[in-house]
Amino acid sequence: MSWLHLLKANFRKEYIELKRYLPNTMAMIFTFYFIFLGMFAGIQVIGDPSVQDVNTQYAIVNYIVWFLAMVVMQDIGWQVTNESMRGTLEQLSMSPMGLWRIMTARLVATTSINLIIVVVLLYISMLTAGQWLNIDVIAIAPILILTLISMFGVGFMIAGISIILKQVQSFLQILQFILAGLTFVPLSVAPFLAYLPFVKGVDLIRYVMIDGATLSQIGVGNFLILAFNAIFYFILGLVCFLYCERVAMHKGLLAHY
Amino acid sequence: METIVDVNHLNKSYKMRRGKEHIQAVNDVSFKVQKGEILGLLGPNGAGKTTTIKMICGLLIPDSGSISIKGMDLSKNKLQGLQHISAVLEGNRNLYWRLTVRENLEYFAGNRGKSRKEVYGRIEELLEQFNLKGKEHELVNRLSRGMQQKLAIAVALLADSEVILLDEPTLGIDIETGYEVRQILRDIVEKSNRTIILSSHDMDVIQDLCDRTVIINHGQIVVDDKVENLMRLFAVRSYTITLGQPLTDQQEILLQQEFSHYQYSADRIEPILEIDLAKSENIYKLFDIFKKENTPVETIDRSTINFEQVFMKIVKGENGHELASSS
Repeated sequence: MSWLHLLKANFRKEYIELKRYLPNTMAMIFTFYFIFLGMFAGIQVIGDPSVQDVNTQYAIVNYIVWFLAMVVMQDIGWQVTNESMRGTLEQLSMSPMGLWRIMTARLVATTSINLIIVVVLLYISMLTAGQWLNIDVIAIAPILILTLISMFGVGFMIAGISIILKQVQSFLQILQFILAGLTFVPLSVAPFLAYLPFVKGVDLIRYVMIDGATLSQIGVGNFLILAFNAIFYFILGLVCFLYCERVAMHKGLLAHY
Repeated sequence: METIVDVNHLNKSYKMRRGKEHIQAVNDVSFKVQKGEILGLLGPNGAGKTTTIKMICGLLIPDSGSISIKGMDLSKNKLQGLQHISAVLEGNRNLYWRLTVRENLEYFAGNRGKSRKEVYGRIEELLEQFNLKGKEHELVNRLSRGMQQKLAIAVALLADSEVILLDEPTLGIDIETGYEVRQILRDIVEKSNRTIILSSHDMDVIQDLCDRTVIINHGQIVVDDKVENLMRLFAVRSYTITLGQPLTDQQEILLQQEFSHYQYSADRIEPILEIDLAKSENIYKLFDIFKKENTPVETIDRSTINFEQVFMKIVKGENGHELASSS
């Protein structure tokens, strides 16, 4: 039950802060929408007219997943940096629930809230482009959940590094471009990328949303890779986070910014 | 009495930012805190108080030594140990400034695995106790520093932990709020038998609240004794002697040789000697010096001393170790 209360408390906090910082939230949504408009205009102006529709569909899916990957993986890094600046990181670290559980609750809470923004952005983009993708929730949900778990793992690694280094803003900005590269490159071009945290998931989401694949068509093999990635990266991320937390507690870095 | 916090031979050093040197922040610190006790942790800036407090809170890992909370070794059962501890380390910085008073209380309770329903009654009590009832829906950034500090303490109390650590609980707040905070802390100990470890530079707070004080200097404990014992000890040791005639140069030299802590003012009608006599037999040595020139002694008064002066004497090394061992 304590896990549930922890999760509820963090959901509530994230929701309240999102509301209190509403202009900032709106600005973020508009920025991403303008990025999409730029991509869409590019496809219309300089893209090959014969594959324009497919390219637009690819752009929508890739850009939506890129947004999601960014908010999920980066947000926790920003949060650690902010908590450290505010002086609340130490207070969280004193919880008998453990800092990693609080961070997990934060990740789940922010991701769930951001998923709503993602859905809004998806529909606005589809409406703008006049391209309607296959939104098969039954097929997309398990892929998305497993992909998100592997993203959480990377999020934990970033959070761990943030605890020690604090000033990771430049690194997080570079990460945006790395994530863009990984989401936009098709798996057929570089099959080994399937074992990176979320590339396989993005590929399968494209398969469902663009090619109209159903859950049964995805195949157990693909799900096994996704599940392996999810477990591997989540555990790796958690181990990295706990190690960094311990280093910070040895060096007295929890309160320093 | 039950020992609730047991700190054993703690050591902690930090690496200097530049170079390979280490600073010994805490050096072989040991003390015990009994249930229901208010312990004052004192020391000048950089003495190692906050490092010690942070190690007790599990925020810093000691290089060596151990900390037990209710008999549980913190290094082995950290999360279980933390169930019995709550702390206010940076006062108002421990709060979320864009959340309201109530939202902060609910959020921190949630982070300890408690539901809003579970803590509703307790929050009402705390709001009442801390005079924050009318401010519960106010954003923290709109509260005064004193109110923020009270809220930070209320957050720590909401945990219902047996041990509460407070680092500078009255820092930066006005006299009235400081008095209110003291009153609340005293009530907490008296009514709910909690244990408080507090560090403060405000000697009035220590003198007023603490049963016992541990004074740390250069990372080491120099005194661990009851506040009243220290007051009595220093009051007994400090004398103001009014002389009938000034001391000669030779007498002053002898005084310097025999006593390290005294103040002599000859530039008045009646010369005054303020002196600390660490050992009772020293009074004979002092009178031997007076006798050499037949200096008349007009009056001998025991000096009135406050805790700030006691602290300063200890920190300046005036027989601190002797005191520690005598307790």
